[in-house]
This record gives sequence, C-alpha cells and structure tokens, in this order.
Amino acid sequence: MTQHKYSYYVEEAALEVTDRPRKFLEAFAAVLEYGNYGIALDAYARLSAKCARCASSCQLYEATQNERDIPCHRSELLLRVYRRYFSRSGVMKARLFGGFELTDDYVELMAEEYYRCTACRRCKITCPLGIDHGLITHLARWLLAEVKVIPKALLVAVREQLDGVGNTSAIPIPALKDTCEFLEEELKEQTGVDIKFPFDVEGSNYVFFPAVSDFLLEADTLMGNAAVMHVTGGLWTIGTGNYDGINYGLFYSDRMMERIVNNLIGEVRRLNAKKILVGECGHATRSAWFVPTFGGRGAPPVVNCIQYAAQKLREGKLPLKRGKIIERVTYHDPCNIARAGRITEEPREILNAICEDFVEMTPNRTENYCCGGGGGTVSIDEIRKFRTGPMGKRKAEQIRTTGAEYVVAPCANCKKQLREVCEDNGLETVQVVGLHDLFLRVIDFGPSASVDANSRTADEGVEEAIQQTTEKEG
Amino acid sequence: METWLSWARGPFFWASLTFMFLGLARHVFVTVWEVVRATRRAGDKRIPHRKIAAVTLAWLLPFGKIKSRLAFGLTSLVFHIAIILVPLFLAGHVALWQRNTGLSWPAIPHLLADVLTVTAVLTAVCLVLQRAIAKDTRRLSRFQDYFLPLFIAVPFASGFLVMHPAWNPFPYEPTLLAHVISGNVLMILLPLTKLSHCVLLPGTQLVSELAWHWPPDAGSRVGIALGKEGEPV
Ligand code: SF4
Ligand code: SF4
Repeated sequence: MTQHKYSYYVEEAALEVTDRPRKFLEAFAAVLEYGNYGIALDAYARLSAKCARCASSCQLYEATQNERDIPCHRSELLLRVYRRYFSRSGVMKARLFGGFELTDDYVELMAEEYYRCTACRRCKITCPLGIDHGLITHLARWLLAEVKVIPKALLVAVREQLDGVGNTSAIPIPALKDTCEFLEEELKEQTGVDIKFPFDVEGSNYVFFPAVSDFLLEADTLMGNAAVMHVTGGLWTIGTGNYDGINYGLFYSDRMMERIVNNLIGEVRRLNAKKILVGECGHATRSAWFVPTFGGRGAPPVVNCIQYAAQKLREGKLPLKRGKIIERVTYHDPCNIARAGRITEEPREILNAICEDFVEMTPNRTENYCCGGGGGTVSIDEIRKFRTGPMGKRKAEQIRTTGAEYVVAPCANCKKQLREVCEDNGLETVQVVGLHDLFLRVIDFGPSASVDANSRTADEGVEEAIQQTTEKEG
Repeated sequence: METWLSWARGPFFWASLTFMFLGLARHVFVTVWEVVRATRRAGDKRIPHRKIAAVTLAWLLPFGKIKSRLAFGLTSLVFHIAIILVPLFLAGHVALWQRNTGLSWPAIPHLLADVLTVTAVLTAVCLVLQRAIAKDTRRLSRFQDYFLPLFIAVPFASGFLVMHPAWNPFPYEPTLLAHVISGNVLMILLPLTKLSHCVLLPGTQLVSELAWHWPPDAGSRVGIALGKEGEPV
C-alpha cells in the first residue's frame, strides 16, 4: 500500500516511522563521522554568498520562478540543520537564544524539496563558491532514507537488486539468455553476421554492465554494443552473477550504493576478468566511477562503451560504411557523464563520423541542461507531469530548436525521460535513440554483411538486408 | 578625541588586526587540516587537481564569468577590485606601515586611489540596490547580505573625506575616528562572516570535489552505527 503523502509514493512502512527528527539527526551525526561530507558542509555553511547566480542556471527555477526552486534556497534547508546541530557556533547560539529546531514538519518539507532537484549539478558551475547543490541533494536524500523516506519506485528496484532476483528489473537468468539469443538472431538477420552475446567467459577483458532495463527496452542499443564488440574483436562477457549496471543507491543511499558497486567488483573478480564495461547509461557510469573508492588498489578500471567505441574508431578498428546517416541528429549530454567533463568529446567524434547532419543543442557538454529526469526521478512515474512539465520544458525547447529528427541520448534514464518529454511537449515526431543504435546502422561488417545506413526501422532494415543479399547473390 | 583616536589607531587597531589574522589563519588551518584528513580517508585518492585549479583560478579572476549576469557580476567584480587595492596600496596606508614597522611596498597613485575609493562606495550601494531589486537575490538575502556591503563602504567614504578635507562637511578628527574604527570593525568581521571567503575561496572547489571522495566503508559504518547492518533493503 502506498499513500499520497508526498508527490511520490512511499511504502507504508515510511509512514509508520516515529521520532523522525531524532533519527534524522542520529543518521546525520553518523554520516558526518564516517563520511567526507563534513568538509563541504562546513565550508558551505559559512560561505554562502546568496548571490543567486545559481538561480538562473536551474531549469526548474527558470520554469517555475518559485522561490523554493532556487538551488541555494533548497540547499539552505539542510545547511540550516547542519549549522544548528553540528557547528559549534550554531549549538551555542541555540543554547543562548533558542531558534530553529528540527521538527517532523521540517523533515516532511525536505522530503518534498529534495526530490524536486535532479542533482544534475548544473548550478554548481555557476556558483562562485563552488557550492555543489547536487551533493547536498544527494546527502539530504540519504539522510531522509534513514528515516525511510524513499520513493517507492527506487526502493523496490534496489530491493530486487540486492535482496531479490539480483537486478532492478527482476530479469531471471533464463529470460536474459532468451533475450540475448533473440538479439543474436535479430543481428544475424540485420547484418548477416554471427554476433554473439557471450556469457560467463572467464578471463575476459571486459565484463559488460548495461542498465538491465536495456534488455527489455533498448534492443537496438544492445545490438549496437554487441556489434561494436564483434567488429573490434573485444573480449567481453556478460556475467550471470551480476548483469545490472543500475545503481539507485546513487540517488538515495550511500549504504546501498556501496553494496551495489561492490557487487560489480565481485562479479569482475569472479570471472577473473580485467575491466568493467558500462553500457549506455549515465548514472551507471558515474556509479561505476566509484569503483576505485570501494575497490581500493587493484580495483578494475571502468570504461564506458562510448569511450571504448571512440577509441576503436580513432585506432581505425571500427570500419564504417560509406553512406552516413542522413537525418538530422542532435546529442543530449547525460549529466552524469558530461557535467564534470569526463565524457563529452567521444560521442561527438562518433556522431561526426557517422552522421551527415549532426547539430548541437545549446548549451551543451558540461553546461548541458538535464533531461529533467535525473537523480532517479525518471523512475517515479507518478511525477511525470512535473518531469516533463516544468522540469523538462527547457529540454523540449532545446530539442525543438535543433529541428533534429533523432535525439541521441546514451543513457537509459535520459532516453525514457526524453521520450516522455517529447510526447508531452508536442515533439511526437522526434525519435530518441542510443548512440549504438545509430552505430549499428553504419558499421561495415565486411563482405558478408548487409544493411543500409538509412534503413529506418529494424523491419525495413531486415527487408533491405534480404534484398541486398539477393542482389549480391544474383 | 585625541585619546580616542590614539586608542583606535593604537591598541584597537593592533587587536583587530591580530584578531583578523588569527581568525583567517584558523580558517585556513582548519580547511587544510580537513582536506588532508578527507584525502587520507578517501578510498579514491586520485583528485583531479589540475581541473580543480583551473576552475578555482577562473573564479579568482572571474573576468570571463561575469557575462552570465552582467550587471550584478560587473558591479561585484569592480567592487572587489576596489576594496582589495585601496586598503593595501593607498600611499597613506603604506606610509603608516613604514613608520610603524619599517615595512614598505609600492603605492598606487593618488588619483587612482581616489577613483577606486569612490568606485568602492558607489558599487557597494549599487550591489545593495541590485540585490534588493532583482527578485532572485531579494528572495535569498539575509540581513548580513545588505549590511555588509554598506558597512564596507563606511571606511572608504570616511577615508575619502579624510583625504579631501575641503569636501568634508564634518570636522576632521571625528571623520578620521569613524574611518579607523569602521576599518577595525571590518577586520573583526572578516573571519566571522561570509567575508571569510577572502581566504576560503581558493579552497572551495577542492572541498566540493573531496566531499565526493568517500571513505571506502563509510556507508557500512553508518549502517553499523545506526544498528542497521544486515537489515533487509
Ligand atoms: S542540481 Fe540541477 S535541478 Fe538541482 S538545483 Fe541544481 S540545476 Fe536545479
Ligand atoms: S551561486 Fe552559490 S553563493 Fe550564489 S546563491 Fe547560489 S549557491 Fe549561493
């Protein structure tokens, strides 16, 4: 049972928690003791200039013009608690003059506000003091989770992953294998080549961790992944011990995040493999970048599939057909890989190589606007109106301005969100696809292969493939 | 008046200056200490120092940054330049230092000092007005956000009048006293308020990065501390 207490559903258990302010503060104290958040909170609590530069950088505030949506205003909610209970001057002031106290209503307020921020961290780059509101949102959500305020959509997924079937979409191994077999057949039909999804190959160079939902929703992306690995001769495998790169711990609890990342490392070690290859997923990549945090020395290196592909393209190991993709294509930078500037150029190298008409959204790269579904909010279906409305408005405008037919978004979450943004904002003709979906259309598999770069759908592609094969044979 | 003046220029000045130095030094010391501690505890010790340095520098010399909020940014930038240059490089101040300590450094020309002083006062007032007029800033502002710029303007305005007795409607000595006292109080406020960003700003980008570099077992230790280890999700 769930209840409409917040904008999002929570489990019944969340509504039964008593004495929340005390528990919240206990969790806060423990987090400050064992984590590294204190250093930032201490600085932020003393420094904030209240210059409001961050206000103009947040797409939400831009749309709502509501005070609650100013990044600095939201962060102040948690900083106030920090100052009052964990800074010496705050404790003293409270003793002498009273003033702010953490109440149940205040916890309630934070529960609402910190899920209005996608933790996209766009505002951080405009703050002269480098105040990272994404960090504050991240931390506040963890503390809220310790008093059981967690969106049900996220909680259920993590439960399935850690205590259930083993992945967030609850896909059992036989179903996974079936899907991959089906994809192999599909690939054979489309390309004429035998492309495999290898399972449990010990000693592989790469263990592949896509967002597991790709197996249900993004067949083209996965086929693209497999195709790239095939033509480049990459030694990769899917591990049946763990095949889910999704880590919703990033969105609500470091405790969960730690367990999920450790499971990735465990699977790589079990298979005696070398590296982690993350599929097209922003937050999965960012979470995997925490592998060195938890894995220590000798932790497996993390490679995103776009980095891999771009590298191979540069090395000339990814042969492309002559015909490029002719439709207009634009690129959405997923916050989790682009904001810190870690993956911005590789996708562009690829797109410029495979598209005739690639256009940029503005702003882009590190300054991109969030799709509007960041921070796990995309999984919360009940807030779709909010996501595609005020939160997604800016993105919709950006897409519209490009006039693109394809929006490439190499992230499972961005894809879902952008499809909904397009649907709800009169952009029904726009297609949201992965980078590897397009790749699949232009890879040159050699003489035995067959598919036209501009085949529009899988089916058409198959038809043409058959035609071309017959022509060749003829 | 004489005694007040000599008190303000003597013991009170030195006390304020010492307080400022110790206070700011404490901020720096605590930050460095925390940075070292956080780095030691971090599971991932690879900090992208170069990137952080570039961003820090970009904000310390924010000429390229102001365009996004041109009016406010420009006022703020000019204001900062003026209030940093004048107190440190005014010929009168340099001379005072030399007389008292023997230390000396080049001063800025009188005319430039005058222009900068007037600029400091004007931009301080502008900052407050802009803050009050623009909706975003008004919503965020606390008392100190209005008070501090105006208070900073006091030693500049009084200093200007001290230097130009012909334009000064007030008697000389009280003006000088106001100048010295407000300057001293400002030094005391420096480590106690958001003005401490004058020494903390160079570290904030690093601090923000470090907060993401967690100790490898932070999560599980929090779980244990809260008695939640082994609890189902
Ligand atoms: S992190 Fe993103 S959504 Fe959150 S306040 Fe900043 S810009 Fe807005
Ligand atoms: S930009 Fe930074 S200092 Fe200015 S209001 Fe926002 S968070 Fe506060």
